[in-house]
Amino acid sequence: MTTQARRDFLKLGGLATGIAAVGAVAGTVLTAQKAAAQAKSDSQLRTVLDRGKLIVGTGSTNPPWHFEDDKGQLTGMDIAMARILAKGLFDDVKKVEFVKQEANQRIPNIATGKVDIVIQFMTVSPARAQLVAFSRPYYVEGAALMTSPKGKWKKYAELKAAGKQVRASVLQNVDADTLVHNALPDAQVLQLDSQANTFQALDAGRADVAVVDASTVKWLAKRNPDKYVDAGYAYEAQLYSAAMRQGDQDWLHWVNTCFDVAMHGHQPEIYTAAFEEFFGEKPPEQKPGFPVI
Amino acid sequence: MDVAINALPFLWEGLLVTLHVSALVVVIALAIGLVLGLGLTYGPRWIYWPIRLYSDILRGIPVPVLIFAVYYLLPVIGWNIDGFTAAVSALAAFETARVLEVTRGAIQSIHPGQTDAGQAIGLTFSQRMIYVIFPQALRRFLPPWINSVVDTVKGSSLVSFVSIVELTLAIQQVIGRTFEPMPLYILGMAIYFAINFTLSTASRRLEARFAYIRE
Repeated sequence: MTTQARRDFLKLGGLATGIAAVGAVAGTVLTAQKAAAQAKSDSQLRTVLDRGKLIVGTGSTNPPWHFEDDKGQLTGMDIAMARILAKGLFDDVKKVEFVKQEANQRIPNIATGKVDIVIQFMTVSPARAQLVAFSRPYYVEGAALMTSPKGKWKKYAELKAAGKQVRASVLQNVDADTLVHNALPDAQVLQLDSQANTFQALDAGRADVAVVDASTVKWLAKRNPDKYVDAGYAYEAQLYSAAMRQGDQDWLHWVNTCFDVAMHGHQPEIYTAAFEEFFGEKPPEQKPGFPVI
Repeated sequence: MDVAINALPFLWEGLLVTLHVSALVVVIALAIGLVLGLGLTYGPRWIYWPIRLYSDILRGIPVPVLIFAVYYLLPVIGWNIDGFTAAVSALAAFETARVLEVTRGAIQSIHPGQTDAGQAIGLTFSQRMIYVIFPQALRRFLPPWINSVVDTVKGSSLVSFVSIVELTLAIQQVIGRTFEPMPLYILGMAIYFAINFTLSTASRRLEARFAYIRE
């Protein structure tokens, strides 16, 4: 490269740096829609921004994750996570449309593009990760034991000591027996077809303990202390994440960034309020300093 | 009891969806099923075999599978229809197969001598149908058809598989919030019974209305 050429190059470099600097300043005032230009044309991020609303697949029958309140409005922790994304996309938590779906529709609805993202207490597993792209986890769920104040045995130690006299109701699935026996090795297992019937068995005295999600036990025992007791044993941790179509790095990366900022960054309002409302405790406080994310 | 009363406003919209889906399916299936039933009974072979194949395939597939197939397989070939349309189409396709078989059965149950007699007195095909066959077939068509209408109302709960909130899912939603399944299941049973009892009563009146028709 000649000296002149190098000078020209540096001039151009300087010009480019100037443009970049102006761009950076302008970038701070870019609207979300304008930012869409930065996502690849085939990315869901761009599709969502162009559409002007986010379409989220979720359920409507499982508190504290996704359920209808007394006014018939969808609410819950999953719904809060969707609002966080809507806020990040459009600076408007209301710009989200919920598709109320059954749990077995979660993966098909992503695969066929019926929804932009599924936020429906979806457990991360290596098998599922072959079919969808999972976001970073937003909750660590576990199984827990719930008993009735009218029951013979209320706390975990009592249940375990009662051995095979204990009847445990659990949601039907291939691992249901194992799930119960990992906590209560000798208990009789009563597999039922819905979460509601699992509790109904406890209410009706058909079961002595219900084995359900730890978050549900917290939710129910807190709201109905005359009906349900937290037996005080949570086990088998599992991760809940949002799920998206595979092969769309822009969309996946954006969702992760948005969740990170809401859970560990400077915009924790929605996540923290929802966590307190639905789990009855504050999430661990993020302290400035060494990153522990 | 309070739980059931408080739930009523939330179930109303679900009930409307149930009635809307049921009415659409019944009307579409009746219109197409009657035509296909006639084609199956009187049509030439090139009409007969496709209708026979359609009926056997559709009646042989479980309705939930049919709904999932329409909802999830069509997008694969680039036709992404919404959940309501997919569910109504699948239910109507199934119900059409039943109506066409009921139509065929009703017509074929009329003794062939009736047709011979009609021909003997010089009636044309259309005249034989309108004045001889159809009035008698109608009487035999009504009971099984009303039966299928009642089944359609109950089967409409399957649309919840594709994200449509109908009566059953609306009940599940309230149970999800209140954790009081029994009063709500009882309320759900009462509502479905009220709809289907009304239909059964109407069908008995219709049957009585056409009872004067004898072979």
